[in-house]
Amino acid sequence: MKKREIIAFTIMILMTVLLACWNLTAGSLSLSARDIVSGLLGGFASGTQGVGDTAAAVIFQIRLPRLIAAIFLGGALSVSGFLLQTFFNNPIAGPYVLGISSGAKLTVAVAMIVLLGGGVHISSAGMVVAAFLGSLLAMGFVLAISTRVNSMSVLIVCGILVGYICSAVTDFLVTFADDTNIVNLHNWSMGSLSGTDWEGVRVMTILVILAFVAAFCLSKPIGAYQLGEVYAKSMGVNTRLLRLLIILLSSLLSATVTAFAGPVSFVGIAIPQLVKLVMKTARPLVLIPGCFLGGAMVLLLCDGIARSVFAPAEVSISSVTAVFLAPVVIVMMMKRRAN
Amino acid sequence: MKFKSIELRNIDAGYCDRVVAGGVSLDAQPGEIIALIGPNGSGKSTLLKTITGQIKCLGGEIRICGEELGSMKESEVARRISLVTTARIKPQLMTCREVAGMGRYPYTGRLGLLTPEDERIVEEALVLTDSLDVAGCDFEKISDGQRQRVMIARAICQDTDIIALDEPTSFLDLRCKLSVLRILRMLAREKNKTIIMSLHELDLVKAVADRIVCLDSEGNSVVGVPGDIFYGDFIQNCFGLDAKEFDPETGHLNIIF
Repeated sequence: MKKREIIAFTIMILMTVLLACWNLTAGSLSLSARDIVSGLLGGFASGTQGVGDTAAAVIFQIRLPRLIAAIFLGGALSVSGFLLQTFFNNPIAGPYVLGISSGAKLTVAVAMIVLLGGGVHISSAGMVVAAFLGSLLAMGFVLAISTRVNSMSVLIVCGILVGYICSAVTDFLVTFADDTNIVNLHNWSMGSLSGTDWEGVRVMTILVILAFVAAFCLSKPIGAYQLGEVYAKSMGVNTRLLRLLIILLSSLLSATVTAFAGPVSFVGIAIPQLVKLVMKTARPLVLIPGCFLGGAMVLLLCDGIARSVFAPAEVSISSVTAVFLAPVVIVMMMKRRAN
Repeated sequence: MKFKSIELRNIDAGYCDRVVAGGVSLDAQPGEIIALIGPNGSGKSTLLKTITGQIKCLGGEIRICGEELGSMKESEVARRISLVTTARIKPQLMTCREVAGMGRYPYTGRLGLLTPEDERIVEEALVLTDSLDVAGCDFEKISDGQRQRVMIARAICQDTDIIALDEPTSFLDLRCKLSVLRILRMLAREKNKTIIMSLHELDLVKAVADRIVCLDSEGNSVVGVPGDIFYGDFIQNCFGLDAKEFDPETGHLNIIF
């Protein structure tokens, strides 16, 4: 690894740790460092159940799972965006702008309404399955369009439109759903990490780690694929298989995020670009872990802001990520035009 | 019997069952430069893609270094044939050295890391192609001529018996054209590689090719040495020119208004 990459990694790890500490302290209930340490120790000692006082409960049952969720889901989104950008050989691609997150959102909403309406409890894993199917559907649609149009901008516009259609249908379903459980769906469909529990954390960490390891193992063929499909094939890459794996992994990653946090905007599109700029490299071997860390860091920051700036009220996480990252995307697009 | 790097037996090249260039037969030996010529749309690129296994062969038999192409694994083909296409690649933020190093793909381990031996091969390829001065530059920020040389360096790094190139001199100025052809000639003569390439500039073909595959727009093909192809009105017929419009002695056009 080059010096620059090592420095970037070190800074990102430090920032992630610092932001994690901030996320533990910040919030409507102000806690001292001692409360936090004793809460954490108490929680780990007594398991997930039976944490005594309020401070410990807040730390162990609410803030810690939420913070872990921010790390893994932020990383997942960013890696998903990196994979999509590689697939389309275009930096202006991501799960949100291509409508993949919204597809997942729609199927999760449908699954929740149908199952909860029937009185069936839906598990975290079930949510992920529903989200995965939805993202594959939206992805399939985007791919079908991409064989007909050459221009990436048309593809993005189509993706955004698909996103609108899915969101509209979701809103429609949510509005007319009368069960009180379903009213919660409204919060979720705006994008939020609140309400993350340990069961959810378990499912999401397993899925994200598996998908991340798989993506990391594909670093070599992905690197060859950056020279284009023809060259990759001529160097012995099974491009058909690689493309399929990239699609499946990026869909799984963004589906996991959507299942637990709802659609989170612009992380997937902007973070890989920022990480590339900071590290000044395109090597997937470095970039895939780099994107994960970058995404984790940014989502920790954004979630911290979402729940502390207007505390005790909470802003949706997408609003915060949009404010920070949408301008980045605009600058990126302008730079591309200039070249 | 001499070793043959490429054997084509009456092959048909085309897309989706539509044959563009049919009945091509050729034996190529190490150290030989084969040029594919013909008008636009006569199937030069399609033939190259078929020989390199990018698209399916529609008929006939292709053998690469004695093995049938259809039965070879992708990784085996990658150690036999390397490719330089006309496609403009956009490897974001990759340096020229990294692009050339990508050619080591078939030989590197699971993570694709280059060993010191790989680094030495990359260095040598950059020296051979006169690209050492741009090695550290961003690939997207160098000139067309330099870019083409780096792509050839990448093909050299792949360490194959055969290098296939699609119009390697297009879009280059005169000096770059010459430098690319010199590199290719050196690779054939000194490194004993088989070079097969499509070319539009007939004067260059005449100067550099050992043998020529001439395709016409009806899908017919003729293989011959330059002396046979550049004779009488053969070229003029193939390209649909008047007899006076082309001089087979020099390979130049006579522009008559």
